[in-house]
Amino acid sequence: MSGARDAIFAALEAARSVRVAARVRAPSPALPADPVAMLRERVAQAGGRLQALTRPGSLDEVEWPAPLDTLHHVYSAHPALASRGVGLATTDVHALAALELCVLRAELAVVESGAVWHVPRSPGERAAALLAEHLVVVVPDSGLVATLHGVYERIRLDRIAFGWLLCGPSKTADIEQALVLGAHGPRSFRLVLEPD
Amino acid sequence: MADRGMATGGRGLTEGDVADTAPDWTDAGAARGRTSHASRARRFVADAARTTWHDASLWGVRAKRDAAAAQVPDWETLREDAASTKRDALARLPELWRRFEERASAAGAQVHWARDAREHNEIVARLLRDRHVSRVVKSKSMLTEECGLNPFLEARGIEVVDTDLGERIVQLRHEPPSHIVMPAIHLRRQEVGALFAREMGSAPGLEDPDALTAVARRDLRGRFLAAEAGITGVNFAVAESGAIVVVTNEGNADLGTALPPLHIACVGLEKIVPETRDLAPLLRLLARSATGQAITTYTSHFRGPRPLPGSELHVVVVDNGRSRLLARPDFEEALACIRCGACLNTCPVYRRSGGHSYATTVPGPIGSVLAPARDPGAHADLPRACSLCGSCSEVCPVKVPLHRQLLAWRGVLADEGHVPRHRRAALAFLSALMLRPTTYHVLARVARSLARRLPAPILDRLAAPWTRTRALPPIPAQSFREQMRARRRRREQEHRP
Repeated sequence: MSGARDAIFAALEAARSVRVAARVRAPSPALPADPVAMLRERVAQAGGRLQALTRPGSLDEVEWPAPLDTLHHVYSAHPALASRGVGLATTDVHALAALELCVLRAELAVVESGAVWHVPRSPGERAAALLAEHLVVVVPDSGLVATLHGVYERIRLDRIAFGWLLCGPSKTADIEQALVLGAHGPRSFRLVLEPD
Repeated sequence: MADRGMATGGRGLTEGDVADTAPDWTDAGAARGRTSHASRARRFVADAARTTWHDASLWGVRAKRDAAAAQVPDWETLREDAASTKRDALARLPELWRRFEERASAAGAQVHWARDAREHNEIVARLLRDRHVSRVVKSKSMLTEECGLNPFLEARGIEVVDTDLGERIVQLRHEPPSHIVMPAIHLRRQEVGALFAREMGSAPGLEDPDALTAVARRDLRGRFLAAEAGITGVNFAVAESGAIVVVTNEGNADLGTALPPLHIACVGLEKIVPETRDLAPLLRLLARSATGQAITTYTSHFRGPRPLPGSELHVVVVDNGRSRLLARPDFEEALACIRCGACLNTCPVYRRSGGHSYATTVPGPIGSVLAPARDPGAHADLPRACSLCGSCSEVCPVKVPLHRQLLAWRGVLADEGHVPRHRRAALAFLSALMLRPTTYHVLARVARSLARRLPAPILDRLAAPWTRTRALPPIPAQSFREQMRARRRRREQEHRP
């Protein structure tokens, strides 16, 4: 289809406007006075919950969406909690469909929106974060940024194959604008702040 | 359903029709039936309760947008930033797309180029056929809607399942989306319940949105797991990194690309931005403008295929009239649109006439600017379906001067002869009259005295449809000029010593 490619570039060159647009750049705001309070509010607005831990390296304080000992299929990227159940060794992402809980570690959390920036360690981890009923994301205290500007200043998009911003449980309002949590992905979302 | 007849878009056609003609604007209703926006809107407003409810729901979304914007202190600077980013990109598309192609290819993606809808559909069909794919899950993409991709693939034996809940609902109803962000905004929960009972075997009478969503989730989860390929749209393509960004709330684009080995992303030429950091202002504006959320649940950045054997990422870049629009300095700014839908939600005409009344893939103010560029004959009435209130321009996150463009289109379309004969005749008569003050005054006097003598019911009928929901004011005995003259005379007499 190089014919199409050439034709498109020719059309774009012909249509090229001579005007040069002056670029305006919005500033990257600093963190608010109480970033955790704002983050808590925005995570809640997105249908999730925020929990700030007091001790590093342990998930004992986490209020899990269901008692841990009742869960049979868990994927965990955090060293303080072991994965268990089906499919975790396989490269077939479909085997993860029975996951009840997925625990991720993410680099950054955006105070203004409640979103986290996460780069999956494997395609399996990405699928796990979507197929699990409940999602818990652990972010270090030092990973708070005010807005998305802070995210894009810190990450290198040209070095990864995939990365995403996650904010709250999957949701829809496609039936009469009624908000429903748990559309296709997780039904619940917890953001856990871990001291460095 | 009473409004079933409004399904005038691409999906209303038989598969063969669309496949063979591959219209570059999937609205078949307007192009063929020559129905007008007014006549299609009349069908929608016939159900007064639905119209009122539709109006209120969309105004509610607009209110959420306002609240979200108010939470951001530098909102107006963000709009300036985003507007200038998109205009900068439009000014150097060839350079940006060359860079994107180079970077995306280096990351392992394959980039394809399609001049029009037909080429786009053929590229996608070939990719699927070559890999013996028969089951595809698709997330929301206005571009594939515009290209009529679904019927094209279905005619070739490929099952395409729309996975956005609203899109799935309208797909099962064989009608086009009525809104670019909320495809089923025109439907009541009872209608969705009846549909799911028929199509997914849910309990008849089920109408709780939570329960209905759970039914669809179960049904679609199976389809995600069984799919052999995922097709998505693209919200932003980044030249600097060769990445594409896709946003959803439901996670459907993510499941559709995380499970099957083949990901085909379809992107219009206008979707590119120069640098990664340009995403920050655009994404801060997008969800807030669309639904009043600070950000969508998922904002996924794809650069190359998954690191798994057999995984592929294909990006299909589509022109389909965009370079033509770019060559029109008066309307090229419409290409800055990021499809948030804010102009639809705020538009008093859209809210009360429904998305299907536009008979275009993209309805509302932005749709009314885009459509005449593709087919002026079929869509010449859309720029007139507007009160020029300017609210669309006020809420647009990338500052497309929508109401100015709608006004400009009226002039262009009139010059090109796309004005109905009766309107042209009426305007010619009016302008002749305005140039002859004496004739005007005489005729106005005759009209006034006739109107004062006619019984109210007859007068109302003459003034229809204006009087359908209003009463005519009393007709004055004197013209405005006469009243002013009399007043001045009175004043002069009073002040005379």
